[in-house]
Amino acid sequence: MKRLFLALAFFLPICLSAQEVAVGLSAHQAQVGEPIQLMVTVRGARGAEIPQKLQVNGLQINLAGRSTQFEMRNFKMSSTLTYTYLVVPQIEGEFTIPSFEVKVEDKVFRTQAMKLAVSADPRAHPAPGYPQSSVPMPSDQPPVPSGEGEPFFADLILSKKKVFVGEVVPVELRFYFNSRIGGQVGERPTFGGEGFTVQKFSNAVKREQVVNGASYVVFSFQSAITAVKPGPLEIPEASLDARLQLPGQMPQGFDNFFGNLPIPQGMFTNNRDVTLKTKPAQMEVLPLPKEGRPEDFSGAVGKFTMEASVSPKKTAAGEPVTLRVVVAGQGNFEGMGAPVLTGEEGWRTYPPSDKFQSTDAVGFTGEKVFEFPLIARQDQTRTPGVRFSFFDPASEKFVVLTQDPLGVQAKAGGGAPSTPVPATAPAPGDTQPSSATPASTPDIAVMAGGAASWTALIVRREFLIANAALAVAWLAIALILIVRRFTRSRAGLEMARRKHLKDSFAALKKVEPGEFYEKARDHLVLRVSGGKDDLAALAGIEASRLSPELKHALLQILERHGESKYAAGGTPPPSVEERRAIMTTLKQLEASYEK
Amino acid sequence: MKSRQIVTVTLCFFVSMLAGADVLTDARTRFQDGEYEQAAKLFEQALDESPPGAAGFFELGRALTKSGQEARAALNYRRALVLDPRFAPAASALQAANVALGLPASRRTWQDRVVERIPLDALTLAGTVLFWVGAFVGLAAFFSQGVRGRRLFSGVVVLLFGGVLLLVVWLCDPRISLANSAMVLTNGGTSFLTSPAEQSEKIAALPQGTLLRVLSQRGRWFYGELPNGKKGWFLTEGIVPVIPPA
Repeated sequence: MKRLFLALAFFLPICLSAQEVAVGLSAHQAQVGEPIQLMVTVRGARGAEIPQKLQVNGLQINLAGRSTQFEMRNFKMSSTLTYTYLVVPQIEGEFTIPSFEVKVEDKVFRTQAMKLAVSADPRAHPAPGYPQSSVPMPSDQPPVPSGEGEPFFADLILSKKKVFVGEVVPVELRFYFNSRIGGQVGERPTFGGEGFTVQKFSNAVKREQVVNGASYVVFSFQSAITAVKPGPLEIPEASLDARLQLPGQMPQGFDNFFGNLPIPQGMFTNNRDVTLKTKPAQMEVLPLPKEGRPEDFSGAVGKFTMEASVSPKKTAAGEPVTLRVVVAGQGNFEGMGAPVLTGEEGWRTYPPSDKFQSTDAVGFTGEKVFEFPLIARQDQTRTPGVRFSFFDPASEKFVVLTQDPLGVQAKAGGGAPSTPVPATAPAPGDTQPSSATPASTPDIAVMAGGAASWTALIVRREFLIANAALAVAWLAIALILIVRRFTRSRAGLEMARRKHLKDSFAALKKVEPGEFYEKARDHLVLRVSGGKDDLAALAGIEASRLSPELKHALLQILERHGESKYAAGGTPPPSVEERRAIMTTLKQLEASYEK
Repeated sequence: MKSRQIVTVTLCFFVSMLAGADVLTDARTRFQDGEYEQAAKLFEQALDESPPGAAGFFELGRALTKSGQEARAALNYRRALVLDPRFAPAASALQAANVALGLPASRRTWQDRVVERIPLDALTLAGTVLFWVGAFVGLAAFFSQGVRGRRLFSGVVVLLFGGVLLLVVWLCDPRISLANSAMVLTNGGTSFLTSPAEQSEKIAALPQGTLLRVLSQRGRWFYGELPNGKKGWFLTEGIVPVIPPA
């Protein structure tokens, strides 16, 4: 066991310089006529004023006596006064013993109010509302603890000896220490065994109790066990470690030295590590009956109620609604499966999420909330119904709770909703609520809705590359269209013509002698008439403002070309001088057009 | 030779997928048996071995909730919501975890409302298509002959609409907005200080589960911003990014 010792010192004799008042009941449940004790403990004082009688209708409470204890530690004396009231229940019911005043010297303290449940039946009922013990604890156990008379002992208290498989049985472990013993106790007891499971232990509750006239401090731990298989069940001992300060003997020779001087009680103590153990117990575990077991029985054993609500009441197309089912009561919430939906045709249903809220320390009492996400396949005005079955050990019968469909206005969506299948693993014993629910639990990647990457699509590399490609395409097309438009414009055409002229003039320099007249004529026609024909070129030359000499030279070029082309026998190729003269004429023509 | 390598790689891939599925099945079985801590470890392993998925983080969060680790559960519910902001069960589980951690309810912003209603990847694609359709229609209209004003106007409008959709995605996608966000997982929370020194003045105490934005890092210290806009320093220990590092 984890050897973490509570820092709290747990007993009265621990040296206290400050005054303190505590109050406690020897039991919080009793039967009519069964007396119990109410103890008021006053520390650090020699006397106190307290009422002789407490007025509570249905309870008779009278001061029965007072005891004083002294302890000396580190040569400091401390005293503890214990006033004991006898409480005798007159009638059945739940009672609150109100707070009352305790006057210690010149100070006035107020005690805490306490609750007491009184039953007429020897099998006492739980005391709901009792702050530390809302778990029903047994009264069919011997009211007198097992180890009376011993300085310390332990008890295991089972609420039932005959249980069903899966039934949660509250248990309480009580560890008693005579109030004259000081020390520390372990944080949690050790408890467990085969054939049953144990819930987490509650925090230790400390109280004082009188057992056969002796005052004890009791540490009680609550938990619950669940039997997992039928047959006889042996509950092994539970143990708790403690380090005690036991009263010791005075050293040898001490009495000779001090002679007959009075030695205060508690002056000499021995530290001792002990392990308190409860006695083993037996239980009989019955199997759940087969007859009457509903097909959708989900393993819940206990006593439960069910409520359902839906929100929102009205949704847009394809939006989910949440059917909230609250199962409340006492039982095995941990092993409980989800309720099942009925009449869910027209709905897309998913396994519910669940959350358990316990109202006691051990998870026996509370409520479990199941939330079913629902999405309408067709427009809906009513939710599916809900059914929940459980086994009631008290009546030894299966009980089926049903919830009628609730009103809702849900519109069907256009396609499959992106709201994902909540990949909730069904709780133990879960039945699949609908055919729409996956029959098995497929891989996460298959079930997951939403994205499968931490990078948003808008910044993903592939997305950016695709957009960059589109941008390049757009720019390319834009460029092509711009170029095309320019080439078709007047400026574009002019530019093309100039380039053509330039090319044509440059070609004249390299042309073969036999083709010179032909190319010279082409260039001339292109320059003066835009490349039409000789007649247009003649007209162009005549209409131009060129000098008569230049006009004449140009006409000579046309004439020479005609001769070379049409004269019988042809004409010889131009001489170098003639060729130079024609080039000069054409240069002059270019120069005149440049002007 | 090359085809043999391809076959080997493919087989390895499928074997690893099957192994991942086994881990997941085991995790779910453990969860059903109430072994929540073990289930959480196996869910983490399964998530490590497969692509991230909202449902996977949700299941991990549930196991952590059951094992009493509310802050880590809240982190994983938030991760589920980052991957799928429309995952209603994760949203309600996160809300419950925040309540359990004692954190105040966060104010719903317009971005929250958008992401709850509209799938962002679809919105991204729609915005992209509209943007480029608008761009090409506008280009064609600009260079076309004759009456082109109406076509040009339509192209520009469609282009702008697509651009607005992409801007909305940019502002709303939690994978972008929470890219530098982190959560306090330190037991007992951490302190938000005016300077990177433990003795410096405390601006606020950040309880476990607090979400904040990390702006920069200096040694053991983060410089960050709270949702209310306050900026300060806090220790890097126990601060876990919402979006896991690659």
